[in-house]
Amino acid sequence: MATLSSPLLRVRLRSVLMFLSIVGPGIITANADNDVGGIGTYSLAGAQFGYSLLWLLIPVTVILYVAQEMCARMGVITGKGLADLIRENFGVKVTFWVLVLFVLGDLGNVATEFAGVFSSGTIFHTYVALISPYMLVPLVALLVFVTVTSNSRKIVERIFFVFCAVYVAYIISGIIVHPNWHDVLIGTFLPHFTPSKAYFLMIVGVIGTTIAPWQQFYIQAAAAEKGVPQADYKYTQWDVAIGSISCDIVAFFIILASAATIYVFNAGHPAHPITVSLPSDVAVALTPLAGKFASLLFAIGLLNAAMFTASILPLSTAYYVCEAFGFERGIELHFKQAPIFYSLYLAFIVIGAGVVLLPGAPLLGIIFYSQVVNGALLPIVLVLTLLLVNNKRLMGAYTNSLTFNVIAWATVIIVGALTVVSVVTSLVPSLSS
Amino acid sequence: MPFTEGFVSELVGRKATVDGLPIGKVADFLIHEPNDTFPKIEGIVIKTAQGPRFAPIDQVVDIEPDGRVELKLTPKDPAPSDDDVLYLVSDLLDKQIVDVDGRKVVRINDIELANTAGHLRVVAADIGVSGLLRRLGLHWIGRRLTPEMYRGGPRAMIAWNSVAPITDKNPSDVRLSVTESKLARLHPSDLAEIIGDLSKVEAASIVRQLDDETAADAFEHLEPDVQKSVIDDIGTERAADIIEEMDSDDAADLLSELPEEQRAKLLAEMNTYTAQELRELVKYDEDTAGGLMTTDYVWIYPHRTTEATVRKIRELGPNTEFIYYLYVVDKRDRLLGVLSLRTLLLALPTAFIERIMDTDVITVPPDMPAKDVAATIAKYDLLAVPVLHETGKLLGVVTVDDAIDAIIPEEMITHLPRFTRHRGHRIPQEAEG
Repeated sequence: MATLSSPLLRVRLRSVLMFLSIVGPGIITANADNDVGGIGTYSLAGAQFGYSLLWLLIPVTVILYVAQEMCARMGVITGKGLADLIRENFGVKVTFWVLVLFVLGDLGNVATEFAGVFSSGTIFHTYVALISPYMLVPLVALLVFVTVTSNSRKIVERIFFVFCAVYVAYIISGIIVHPNWHDVLIGTFLPHFTPSKAYFLMIVGVIGTTIAPWQQFYIQAAAAEKGVPQADYKYTQWDVAIGSISCDIVAFFIILASAATIYVFNAGHPAHPITVSLPSDVAVALTPLAGKFASLLFAIGLLNAAMFTASILPLSTAYYVCEAFGFERGIELHFKQAPIFYSLYLAFIVIGAGVVLLPGAPLLGIIFYSQVVNGALLPIVLVLTLLLVNNKRLMGAYTNSLTFNVIAWATVIIVGALTVVSVVTSLVPSLSS
Repeated sequence: MPFTEGFVSELVGRKATVDGLPIGKVADFLIHEPNDTFPKIEGIVIKTAQGPRFAPIDQVVDIEPDGRVELKLTPKDPAPSDDDVLYLVSDLLDKQIVDVDGRKVVRINDIELANTAGHLRVVAADIGVSGLLRRLGLHWIGRRLTPEMYRGGPRAMIAWNSVAPITDKNPSDVRLSVTESKLARLHPSDLAEIIGDLSKVEAASIVRQLDDETAADAFEHLEPDVQKSVIDDIGTERAADIIEEMDSDDAADLLSELPEEQRAKLLAEMNTYTAQELRELVKYDEDTAGGLMTTDYVWIYPHRTTEATVRKIRELGPNTEFIYYLYVVDKRDRLLGVLSLRTLLLALPTAFIERIMDTDVITVPPDMPAKDVAATIAKYDLLAVPVLHETGKLLGVVTVDDAIDAIIPEEMITHLPRFTRHRGHRIPQEAEG
């Protein structure tokens, strides 16, 4: 018969349609991964070490995929959230203390996002005097609260995709600063070690910021909610893979942007180096080095990332905490019906935005310590994930393969060891000398 | 025994003794009939140095006020495998259950036991904050809070007679009958909401507990994507049984959503008559008269008497969806007239149908859009409108409720995680107390 009904074509067409219907959680999650903490860390990596850390993004992509794929798989197979599974399999006590840690960690993350809003506000202020960071932060907090609780899912979903699209700003700003592509290629494909403590800490920072613990919860909830049939799980795997790769492509260009400008400048002017501590410092530095356009793009990207994560993170945290403890939850309920859910959600936004508005708030400290806490929580969430994903009663035939377990446990051990060392040295600076 | 009532969390981990000498610790409680009003405890699992041992309940001499359990003899038998029996701690604690009277899914924080007439029984599930605090060993905090807060709202304790566990396990090895499943007490649309709230594995295990008729009623209210995932999980044979019991229009809608291959398999499992009928219905577009119509109506021949017709309705009525209008057809199924139940009841018993029927019938073609069908029904104040083939053959009828359903805008299907999705809690009921 006609070619249209040929079985091969139909199979292909079905695959494409299936993929499009299942794609989403992985890409949204991975993009939300390049939040303010991430942008800060990547900028710093580029500014301090130029292109010589680019190679790290390849193994980090593999680890990110392994970590997120496990949770996405648990979401698809069990149809439950990660906090749910922790509660059902490890009991109240473990759940309680784990969630206390995660709530504190996430509070730090939310404050970090608002610190990002604040510092992008300082950049915009130089263009439009009317925009002040003290105005931008409450405005964003209100905007986030209103859009997310407006209960118009159509709008929320569209906004999320716009957020994902705006990340292209970083790719553009990474290209228009004219990096030395020869050095970029060498830095990407030839692993290179600088035996210094700063270089080592930066490796930990990049790993810790790329694989954020809260995202494990988010991706599992999102995958569970999609209701993907087990037989079509392979499409979710592709979603996660594409998400992980696109996340690290954005990270790659953020590193390029600061490496091609700040690192190169500092190499040429060792006497008067530009120091980078806040993500917005990169935007400031870009103006004289690469022009206003690159700088503005960077600041827009920063605000975008901050708003994106600030929309998702408080809500998903409040949600999974309530889910684990059986409290009423969901934005379609009234405050009186779900008081704990709303109190948690509001507390996240109010405290997160409030902290950065305090006069002389240590923005750098907020960003830095929230990354440290993320790093410390990562091994915990990975170990719990591994125990759950290898539980035959939960996962049936979908437990980890041997290769996967080897990679995952190696990640836990390496990240765990790196984290312990870096947390200890950063909390007790005297030890590191 | 002096033991009158207490919580599982207060007993687990306490000493088990024989003649006052400790032999191990209380680990778990076994029940056989989780769907009983107040299930009897059949035995206690004692964690000993040799591993878990099982003590049947008649071995228990006493439970002291401090939670110590005195046994007659040291238990020697290993605990029955978790696959065949139901344990309070490992299978119910921290898991979700359906609160049949509260009509929602809740999580068990603790389980209350009581000694009634010499039997230790499960009496209630604690879903409140106090249960959480007790489990965390933070019970003292609760006493300092106001009693309402402490009890965690109006429904902190659920009597076990309205608890329906969500589990596939069926320890008594007898298939639950209609009366046994507490879930059958729920209104089908409430049951459907609960099923929609659960993960697909849990949803399938709930459906397995129901008889075909209850499941079919609930299925009629489920969203298409939930229907699909449940069907995937419960297997073709059971799914076919349930679909057979559904109203033909809902069954056809469901089948039309499925891939061709799966639909063919399901139809092959059904009885030939129903399958043939559904095959016809599936051909029509969902948003047309053909897609909305049911074939489950009463038809009669014109030369019958009123009395004979009333007898026929008594016979067919209980299993027929729509009996308020009777459709008069000839031997070739062509529509001759229509008769309301009212006309029938008011006519003389000896009157012939062809004398009292209304021959001026409003009809619609099968391809008429749903909106226009609804408008027709509204315009002529009908309870149903017959759908005619161009040859005059009666294909089916669209009832007023199905027409209304078709024109009310459907909930937008979202791909966002659950926290942005409507969870369907009935607001007035939630606000009570």
